[in-house]
Amino acid sequence: MTDVLASEFLKLRTVRSTVYLLLVLVLALSAGVLVSYLMTADYDSQPPDVQANFGAADPGMVVLPFGHFVLGVLGALAVTSEYGSGMIRTALVSVPRRRSLLLAKSAVVGGTSLVVGAVVTFLGFLFGELVTGDRPKPISAYDSLSEAMPTLLANTASLTTMGLFGLGLGFLLRSTAGALVTLCGLLFVLPGITLLLPAPWNERLYAIMPPILPPQLAGELPGAPLGQWAAGLAMVAYLVVALGGGALVLLRRDA
Amino acid sequence: MIEVRELTKRYGAHRAVDGLSFEVKPGYVAGFLGPNGAGKSTTMRAVLGLDRPTSGEALVDGRRYADVPRPLHHVGALLDANAVHGGRSVYNHLRVLARSNGIGVKRVVEVLEQVGLAGVARRRVGTLSLGMKQRLGVAAALLGDPAVLLFDEPVNGLDPEGIRWIRHLMRGLAAEGRTVLVSSHLMSEMALTADRVVVIGRGRLILEASMRELTERFQRDVLVRTSAPQDLAAAVERLGATVRHEDGALLVHGLSAYDIGEAAAHRGVPVHELTPRSASLEDAYLELTDDSVEYRTVAR
Repeated sequence: MTDVLASEFLKLRTVRSTVYLLLVLVLALSAGVLVSYLMTADYDSQPPDVQANFGAADPGMVVLPFGHFVLGVLGALAVTSEYGSGMIRTALVSVPRRRSLLLAKSAVVGGTSLVVGAVVTFLGFLFGELVTGDRPKPISAYDSLSEAMPTLLANTASLTTMGLFGLGLGFLLRSTAGALVTLCGLLFVLPGITLLLPAPWNERLYAIMPPILPPQLAGELPGAPLGQWAAGLAMVAYLVVALGGGALVLLRRDA
Repeated sequence: MIEVRELTKRYGAHRAVDGLSFEVKPGYVAGFLGPNGAGKSTTMRAVLGLDRPTSGEALVDGRRYADVPRPLHHVGALLDANAVHGGRSVYNHLRVLARSNGIGVKRVVEVLEQVGLAGVARRRVGTLSLGMKQRLGVAAALLGDPAVLLFDEPVNGLDPEGIRWIRHLMRGLAAEGRTVLVSSHLMSEMALTADRVVVIGRGRLILEASMRELTERFQRDVLVRTSAPQDLAAAVERLGATVRHEDGALLVHGLSAYDIGEAAAHRGVPVHELTPRSASLEDAYLELTDDSVEYRTVAR
């Protein structure tokens, strides 16, 4: 199993798509910092009554949506690039135990997503604090690290979930286009559409859209439809559906 | 040793492989022949556990492939040279495969040199020609120094030098006591490489035989030149042969060269030439598979 793990990690490190995706995250983080800086500069030039209505200058606002998408793609590509090229057959000849392959890929993609997700989340917080300095709320998103912690952890959990969700989609759909369309739909299209539905379905469905889960998990939205536990369970449900479905397809269908 | 027993693989209503049984033992090159769509690749995929048989089984050294731990040490396979991730370098591609079976980088360098790809080790796989990808596939198959090897159409895309190289390689691997199964749709190629052939058509076994048996089975007649054709013709006809005269020679059907020679000696007839003539293996193959060609052009 260690051999398969090492091999899968090597696979992830030896394709350029991984580098490009991580580069996109660096860009997103930089853009987030730039936006925070511009907001803060604007804040400083405004009278106090306008300042009181400012949004928080938090790079995480930019980093999180990009992170969701990038890590989802990273997870999906770990599988669909192999199906697309036929490499999957070569891979399954060297590791015919499909359960081992699935576990190794999950561990590698999950671990990478966790580390990358934690790094960008915490860096976003750090840079946000550096930019806003000793300015008060609302321009400063948080007063202290301990206050920010629930959000940072929830965002990291959500980013890790998306990496594994993408991996599951990859196994399930075996197609890069299919996985990307599904990811885009869930992250960017469906959340907007659910709000157009008649009440109470608009709120109920909106609440279980992936981008809306992390703030609910952190408990930072007052009066959110889902409690922290429910939001966490919803994340787990996404994982179970995608990875479970993917596992079923991998174990049952011919390669 | 490869054992295929009553293997059937159905895709919907189509039986790609239909009750196929054969064995390949160590020490010789077995040619796996059949027209396009005969089920060669499907059979190989079933042996390697990629496709689940509808019924029957395919075993390698008495085990299902999926039950072999670190299988590259026992079985090497080249299925489709293009089935590789084009973005990785040649070296990294092999390193990934080697690592999954606990094989070190030293061996990766060795096989790269063995197949003649050491000079392009840093190039991305996607930039290689088909011939070079075939060599890469062979390198991957050899990584674990396996006792059983499967090659699916390995000469596709190779230049004449490459074809000779791979022929030499396969014969060498068999001579070392390994089990070697090579599929091809070209009889002429197999005639030069294989010691035994397994011929299939429409998923069924048509023939399993040694090259020699195949040659003998498709022996047509014996060409005899003699200074006393009438005498000899009468002699062999008495032994039950039929004789045709052609260009001053006799074409004897239904009697072996040995028996003809004996008959001639017995009657004191001088023989100048005695040549058993076979249908070419190509003709033999076409005759064998004629009923089972799945895709053919319509003669107009």
